[in-house]
Amino acid sequence: MPGEASKAAAIIGAAEANDIGYPQTPKSSLTLHIEAINNVCDMTGIPIAAIDGIFSAGWSPQIAEYLGLHPKYIDTTAVGGCSFEMHVHHALAAIHAGVINVALVTHGEMGFSQRFTQGKGTGRPGGAGDPWDPGTQHTMAYGLGGAPTSYSHALNRHMARYGTTQEDFAEIAVVTREWATLNPRAVMYRKAGEGDLPPLEKGEWGGGKRGHTFGGPITVDTVMNSRPISWPIKLLDVCLVTDHGGAVLITGPELARTSKTPPVWIAGAGESISHWNMLEMGEFTKTSAGRSAAAAYKMAGMGPEDMEMAMIYDSFTVTAGITAEMLGLAPEGEGFRLWKDRHAAPGGRLPINTNGGGLSFNHSGMYGMQLLVEAYRQLSGTAEDDGFSGDPGKQTSARSCVVNGTGGSLSTTGTLVLVSDD
Amino acid sequence: MADYTKPIPSPDPVSQPFWDGAKEGKLMLPRCDDCNRVHWYPRVICPFCHSMNIEWVEATGRGTIHTFAVQHNKGLVARGWGDEVPYVTAYIDLAEGDRMLTVLKGVDPNDPDSIQIGGAVQIEFEEASDDVHIPFWRPV
Repeated sequence: MPGEASKAAAIIGAAEANDIGYPQTPKSSLTLHIEAINNVCDMTGIPIAAIDGIFSAGWSPQIAEYLGLHPKYIDTTAVGGCSFEMHVHHALAAIHAGVINVALVTHGEMGFSQRFTQGKGTGRPGGAGDPWDPGTQHTMAYGLGGAPTSYSHALNRHMARYGTTQEDFAEIAVVTREWATLNPRAVMYRKAGEGDLPPLEKGEWGGGKRGHTFGGPITVDTVMNSRPISWPIKLLDVCLVTDHGGAVLITGPELARTSKTPPVWIAGAGESISHWNMLEMGEFTKTSAGRSAAAAYKMAGMGPEDMEMAMIYDSFTVTAGITAEMLGLAPEGEGFRLWKDRHAAPGGRLPINTNGGGLSFNHSGMYGMQLLVEAYRQLSGTAEDDGFSGDPGKQTSARSCVVNGTGGSLSTTGTLVLVSDD
Repeated sequence: MADYTKPIPSPDPVSQPFWDGAKEGKLMLPRCDDCNRVHWYPRVICPFCHSMNIEWVEATGRGTIHTFAVQHNKGLVARGWGDEVPYVTAYIDLAEGDRMLTVLKGVDPNDPDSIQIGGAVQIEFEEASDDVHIPFWRPV
């Protein structure tokens, strides 16, 4: 008997780039993609704008950006020559699930011509660092590098557009640090009233239960007086850089009921993208979290007013402030008020980043896993006693949580609505 | 010129008309022949209407500052720029539409309040190599 997904989708057209084989003039891999996409859309009469899912071996964010598309499904599975058969499989599942209507599976690769472009571009997937990647080519001259060097432009634009100040955003760092002082697992934890800490022993690290030399409560002045990194971003507007690992298990309802630990249900989920290189960001005071959150809330049948806590990616104070607005937790331009007015603080009506955040708990470079772990701990009750660390850490009685991860240069977002078991 | 120590972009077949213009001190921009909108960075397809009829037009070289930041940290910027911190990076709204990244010339990085978002700027080109003249912008 056929599986339920059988015949849930069909391949309706296939086309190639205009110059294949040994072209006289090399075209970049990206151009080869675009020609083929344009040709298959011509052939089928499906407009490019109707594509809402992109499947490719590593190229999907750039394809989306280049075409100005905001796909709802972004798959970059790159596992060798069989990748494209897998993409078809994934596309079938996504369509069967009703996530998308038009899946594009695409490929372009200047396997021959790149020998003539040595030292210039190759058009490799991944883009960043490849001289022919258009985002790289038209920004590399100006030296932007580490994440703070670009995020600072968004903060400055927010201040100009809404009249917000550096002090407003500093409040986010202050309250987030307050949460860390309640969490012995946090790097910036420090016991209240403790004086200067003794020097580190050999092999000892400066955080966790011992307390960090620079841990403990901070004020707006502490943030304002920290050294400039990329004005208007200062050191204490920036997340930590730490080691961290994490994992979660996800199962269907039947298995979830047999687990010794309580389930936290994925009530809603959504994802989106506004750009890949910040050059293409458009409105610097908004992220695609507006779209990914709308999808997640819709699936959950819940809204921001139903959220009892939030875990918000805080690579920088500006990331958290803008994202709170995008998630509908505060009006546009006023995200910072959740922290400044202490709604997000211990005892507040909407606890945010109860672990101490990327700013003061841990941030390993890609912080999304840490968001999930903390949301699970709070909603499941395991923060009270996880049977392992012996740490308390139950910070809230919240039974619903919106979780939002942000990637790239305020580029990509994933939003989850998680709820406790009944 | 030979002592230009900062990153130099590599023109590609799609962007070549822009770099050719830059050598002559002209700002060339790609414009869609169907919807007439200018886009940046250069593409073989219009990101607004998906037409592949792209033409190149000479632009005014005028724009306004969309937003900016002051780079203070040597370790976070590309090699060559580390020696120039603090310096001001900015996104420029082009008079013809869409946006470019740049480094602002003729501004005081130690006094960011003196730099105006929305302020008018004009393009100029610096010869980084025989083939590549890099666009920069300066308040007018």
